[in-house]
Amino acid sequence: MVEYAEIPSPDDPAAAMAAVVALRRLADRLERAAVANAIAQGWTWAKVGKALEVSPQAAHKKHAVKRH
Amino acid sequence: MWFSRGKTDVRTIHDLLSTSEKIAQESGDERPGAEHLLLSAILLPDGTARRAFQRVNVDPDDLSAAIATAHTQALAGIGLRDPLGLDSYQGPVTKLFRANPSADQAFQVAAALSKEPGSRRLLGAHVVQAVARQSTGTAARALAGLGIDPAALDAAAAQEIHSAMS
Repeated sequence: MVEYAEIPSPDDPAAAMAAVVALRRLADRLERAAVANAIAQGWTWAKVGKALEVSPQAAHKKHAVKRH
Repeated sequence: MWFSRGKTDVRTIHDLLSTSEKIAQESGDERPGAEHLLLSAILLPDGTARRAFQRVNVDPDDLSAAIATAHTQALAGIGLRDPLGLDSYQGPVTKLFRANPSADQAFQVAAALSKEPGSRRLLGAHVVQAVARQSTGTAARALAGLGIDPAALDAAAAQEIHSAMS
């Protein structure tokens, strides 16, 4: 059985916006971890971009670790 | 004197920003926010930020855990648990310093405070004052989690600035 989380009401802006920040932060960290694992597993930037619904160039620009 | 002030401030600003960026990346954040700037201020060699926290009977070394708790509680509030292991995946290193608006605002306020009469250079306590004046955001929630009255912390930082300048 799926349990649904309670989303704070926008009527409580402080709680709602704290939740937004937490979700954004979690999404960013999850995206970085997932992309790093995808590239390590041999995914192309085209495939990563498609999975994230962005262009391959956008995915590469955001996530490619520059080697010096 | 102005040359001396400028040289000292440039070094402080470099330490403050580069350390805040490093702390942010180590904690899994792409860009530093006000909370990372505050953690960085605590590490500045002038010691004023650390002592400001001690003046309000808070161990500055507890701030890092309080920030993590603020994030954890915000996620728990929507029924989510922070997954382990995500922090080790850091984004690409950029040459340009980029911060969140909360850090930009705190830095600008701290820099303005450091130019007020009675201040001769930028100190960690100026950053403490600037962040204590932010009423919302992760840093504000972390300070609240430590039971800190922002006005009392602001006043404690002002005392530290006064001591450092006298």
